[in-house]
Amino acid sequence: MSRDEGARDRILERIRAASREREPLPHPGTLPERMAAGDPAERFSEIFEQNGGETVRFETLESAWGWLEGFAEDFASMAPGEDVPERLLASLPVAAPHEAELGISMARGGAAETGTLLLDSREGRRGQILPPAHLVWVRRRDIHATLDRLLESVKGELPSALALHSGPSLSADIGQVTVRGVHGPARVIVAILP
Amino acid sequence: MAEQREGKAYRARAREIIDRHPEIRASVTGGVMDLDRKRVDRYAEIDSETWRDWARDVKDHVITHLDELLEEAAANLEARGVQVHWAETAADARRVLDGIVRRRGVKVAVKSKSMLSEELEVNRDLEAAGVQVFETDLGEWIVQLQEEPPSHLIVPAIHRDLDAIRRLFHARLGTPLDAGPDELASQARATLRQAFLEADLGISGCNFLVAETGTVALIENEGNIRLCTSAPPVHVALTGIEKLLPRWQDLSGFLQLTSRAATGQSLGTFVSLLNGPKGPGEPDGPEEMHVVLVDNGRSRVLADPRAWETLRCVRCAACLNACPVYRQTGGHAWGHVYSGPIGSILDPALLGLERAGDLAYASSLCGACTEACPVRIPIPDLLLDWRARMAGGRRTTATERTLIGAYSRIMTRPRLYRLAGALMRRLPGLLSSRRLPMIGSWVERRAALRPSPRTFRRIWKEELSGEDAAGDAGDHHRGSGGQPGEEEERER
Repeated sequence: MSRDEGARDRILERIRAASREREPLPHPGTLPERMAAGDPAERFSEIFEQNGGETVRFETLESAWGWLEGFAEDFASMAPGEDVPERLLASLPVAAPHEAELGISMARGGAAETGTLLLDSREGRRGQILPPAHLVWVRRRDIHATLDRLLESVKGELPSALALHSGPSLSADIGQVTVRGVHGPARVIVAILP
Repeated sequence: MAEQREGKAYRARAREIIDRHPEIRASVTGGVMDLDRKRVDRYAEIDSETWRDWARDVKDHVITHLDELLEEAAANLEARGVQVHWAETAADARRVLDGIVRRRGVKVAVKSKSMLSEELEVNRDLEAAGVQVFETDLGEWIVQLQEEPPSHLIVPAIHRDLDAIRRLFHARLGTPLDAGPDELASQARATLRQAFLEADLGISGCNFLVAETGTVALIENEGNIRLCTSAPPVHVALTGIEKLLPRWQDLSGFLQLTSRAATGQSLGTFVSLLNGPKGPGEPDGPEEMHVVLVDNGRSRVLADPRAWETLRCVRCAACLNACPVYRQTGGHAWGHVYSGPIGSILDPALLGLERAGDLAYASSLCGACTEACPVRIPIPDLLLDWRARMAGGRRTTATERTLIGAYSRIMTRPRLYRLAGALMRRLPGLLSSRRLPMIGSWVERRAALRPSPRTFRRIWKEELSGEDAAGDAGDHHRGSGGQPGEEEERER
């Protein structure tokens, strides 16, 4: 540790010496906000689908429950996030995230302008990224117009990790051809709750 | 003599790639032109001029408050249980990793793509310590299997076409020779998934370090960074000391602008915002999180009166994608970790003129790079500055110095100029020889320069100086028999 201490002091001293002649420049403040037109939830769906994801919207909780039953039939097991309400979990056997066919999350919120979901490490990180398909619930009122506002909404209490997911896993590293699901989920389905 | 060889290293490497591996040029050109087009489209959707001004100003604020912001970031990271290390050199950074490897008994490490980790050459040391290292970004894994360095900051295997990757996977992983991209990718997923689950250590870089909250921000598309920072029990983020952002509020703009510049997306598919190791009551995540703050020459760049502006760089590679010179060879011609326009100004700053000064000549100074740069680094100005230092330090070749000296004497003395003009008109072969120094490489791939039979002064006197000349001077030019290339017009 003492080697580190000395290194810190020497690095900071070199930085100060290097900057001595330089005028300190002010922070420019905040970028002007871009007001997206229309309903954030609708805009979110549009952009998220452009990003390669799937979306579904519900007017009532009952309709969401009904949809979930049918949707779950395609999967043999699930890795549920800790924050997902019981009623929003499929009736599937629970498996470890690296074995489950479907991860299920409850998003902290969304951003319409980039089609982005905000996920919290308190529900578990592995279930968000290991299963080949990912179902994410988000409440309509938690979808913000911009990424600025979404991030601002969680600034006060940051968990150990937040993740922004804007679609399925993509790679164009093999001959510049786009493939899905290289490491993360190939399918991401966002279900927007009333 | 060593100086001369060193001075021509870029040129020799570039020539070798262009002459012997035409498929590299085809693959790189296709890849970067696609990325550049997407970047242009995504810039058009926002008020990119305002965004880029803002991003430049935030970075200038960071660079002129670096000591305070580093201390603030370190304090906030430590408050969240992150272990902060300070590394003055690459060797120091490798020592930090080595300490963790020994203490934790690390056998398998998974890495996400990090140019800083390439700069620090951590893989060699890890492997020497008996650690099996997996690069997990698909492109980076391809170059690891190929045992070569990355060729692009964002798309490491951009120089390898589908055919080359098929052959590589066939030889190393046994996939069929006619496998499609999906099949190859799913083989990669299966192999690397095993590594993620077995790994004792995850190593990442860092796109942004937010001082106000102590947050490490990482942008990606594949999900391998999320896995590297979530699955193994220890996560180490290698972070250049210039990577800071002052406030949480700055993140949104930088994440979006960087994504638009790098890959032409409004935001990368996955962004990790990491504030510490697994919290109390959290079901998973690393038990230990380390941030290694690396100087390795950056404070020296900071002290440089011009080169300090390169510290704004967010490593998006937009300048590589826009560059007509990079397109011809890909990054290997640069011979150092950072390639393309940013490499041409950063490598001399980090490594010195002796080792990398010739890279300042790997440019036509067209300026496309600075137009693409999200933080407005004046790349052509900085290239010229390095060239001036090369010339001032007599690091250019003796032939070049003699010729430029002669050129300068001729151009500033009217009588000498007229004499040289007359000589070239009488001996046109002077300008078409491939053996001529400096001009030779131009002539080699283009039609020879042919001097006009009449001097510009004469044309001016006979045809252009009249009152009617203003309206249609262009036609007279065409009728004058002058070739596009002739230098006579420069007469003052």
